[in-house]
Amino acid sequence: MTKFWSVFKLVWIERLVYRVNFFLEILSGILSSLIVVFLWVAIYRGATREVIGGYSIGEMVTYLLGAGLIYSFILTTAENPETSQSIQDGTLSTLLLQPISPYAIWFVRDLGSKAFFFILGLSGYVVVFFFFRQYLVLSASLGHLLFFLLSMILAALLQFFLFEALSLLAFWVENTYGIRFTVRVIMEVVGGAIIPLSFFPQILQKLFLLLPFSYLIYLPMRIYLGKIPLDEVPLEFLKEGVWIVGLALLNMMIWKKGIRQYVAMGD
Amino acid sequence: MDGFSRYLKLFLLLIKIGLMRQMTYRPHFFMMIAGKLIRMGLLFFFFQAIFLKVHRIGEWTYDQVLLLFATFHIVDYLISITFHRNLAFHLPRRIQTGELDSRMVLPVNLLFIVSFEETDLIDFFSFLPSLGFLGYVFYRLEFAFSWTQAVAYALLLVNALFFLFAVVLIIATISFWTTQSYGLARIFDNLLKIGRYPLDIFEGFWKVVFIYFLPLVLIAQIPSQALLETLSPDYVLFAFGVTGVFLIFALVFWKIGIKNYLSAST
Repeated sequence: MTKFWSVFKLVWIERLVYRVNFFLEILSGILSSLIVVFLWVAIYRGATREVIGGYSIGEMVTYLLGAGLIYSFILTTAENPETSQSIQDGTLSTLLLQPISPYAIWFVRDLGSKAFFFILGLSGYVVVFFFFRQYLVLSASLGHLLFFLLSMILAALLQFFLFEALSLLAFWVENTYGIRFTVRVIMEVVGGAIIPLSFFPQILQKLFLLLPFSYLIYLPMRIYLGKIPLDEVPLEFLKEGVWIVGLALLNMMIWKKGIRQYVAMGD
Repeated sequence: MDGFSRYLKLFLLLIKIGLMRQMTYRPHFFMMIAGKLIRMGLLFFFFQAIFLKVHRIGEWTYDQVLLLFATFHIVDYLISITFHRNLAFHLPRRIQTGELDSRMVLPVNLLFIVSFEETDLIDFFSFLPSLGFLGYVFYRLEFAFSWTQAVAYALLLVNALFFLFAVVLIIATISFWTTQSYGLARIFDNLLKIGRYPLDIFEGFWKVVFIYFLPLVLIAQIPSQALLETLSPDYVLFAFGVTGVFLIFALVFWKIGIKNYLSAST
């Protein structure tokens, strides 16, 4: 356990080396979600109805800020590129000699990175929350809030296994950035980062809900806002759990096959 | 004119090299193009989803917002193909590692080579469908614009490119004094996205910032309004004037930056 804790701490130390860039990164994430919030505030002000697509202006601002926080500081701060790079440049060889499995190192580093960005990103968001305080909606109940926190942890795990599966393809292809970029692009919209999925036409909604992305942002924010009754949340978690376990097994399979044909190219 | 044709030939050569370099990883090349097209398609659905629920954003109708969206992407792709990554990301790294030395001894203008050294052909192939999308938006607008409006639109698009060149150059030049301008470039990338929305969405302080301080209205809103004939002629002059000021400042700043270059390397 001490070994994992050391890896976890190391990520935080590394991240703090370039403090200015880190601060600007936080600012950049905040700006991204602010843009979309401003857009929606303007739409609501110009609209004739108070509720659009089942969301009041307060719910929409809360949704977008929460979605921005999750997207910027949990979903896009992943360490998966490191996996690909280690395989491509041969640094995986060094990792294989260490007393922890490289896969475990990547997993702990990813969680460390996400925790680091989320905690410090949240502190930056306090200013934004203050700025939009008249719109913000509190969680529907304490139960919803606790389930919301749990859903973010599950989202972090799901994101890791999803992108790690793509990164591990580096055992066979020379560059995995293209596929990771494409899936990230899909994740942003289909996950509900810029708009609740209920705004899309029925046919698209049905299609999007079949994919794992909706568990990353749309589900946590729906739980927070009480758009799902408490007794239905466990079923949603169960479905998400199936995705997580399925992807984790897929990861193990790819890792086992990949490591057998690893040729340790590089320096 | 000789100088111009020489630089044109060099630019075409850089494009050829760029294509060869990027085609090395073919699956990656095609996957990136697919990713960029999917992004554009999904953002189109995003606007469509909004207009399923409301009729206007500010004063903008659906077709007008689509024009703004298409215009923004045309500009965004053009800068990505040419100077954006070169200046915002490659130049700071070259300054930091001292790689800029090798560019300084070349018998070409330094600013030209650092701006266009690595052309991005992935974005070129994503740019072509966005041109088609712009054509579709013109069709939706029933081509209801005069030749004068079309010329003003084209000129303001070119103006937007020069404006963005100046802004990105200013950000990149900061690297001569700090090793951490990468974060600034990331912030600018996010700010740039504001250009795809009607600026009516901002109010008070922010509206002033995005019109006068960092006039992102120049990127897509002003060209689109020129085509839609909803722009006062004063704003056209404002657009060209602001770009001129930014460009002069950027070039002077760049010269000062070059004088401060320490050629620090390993």
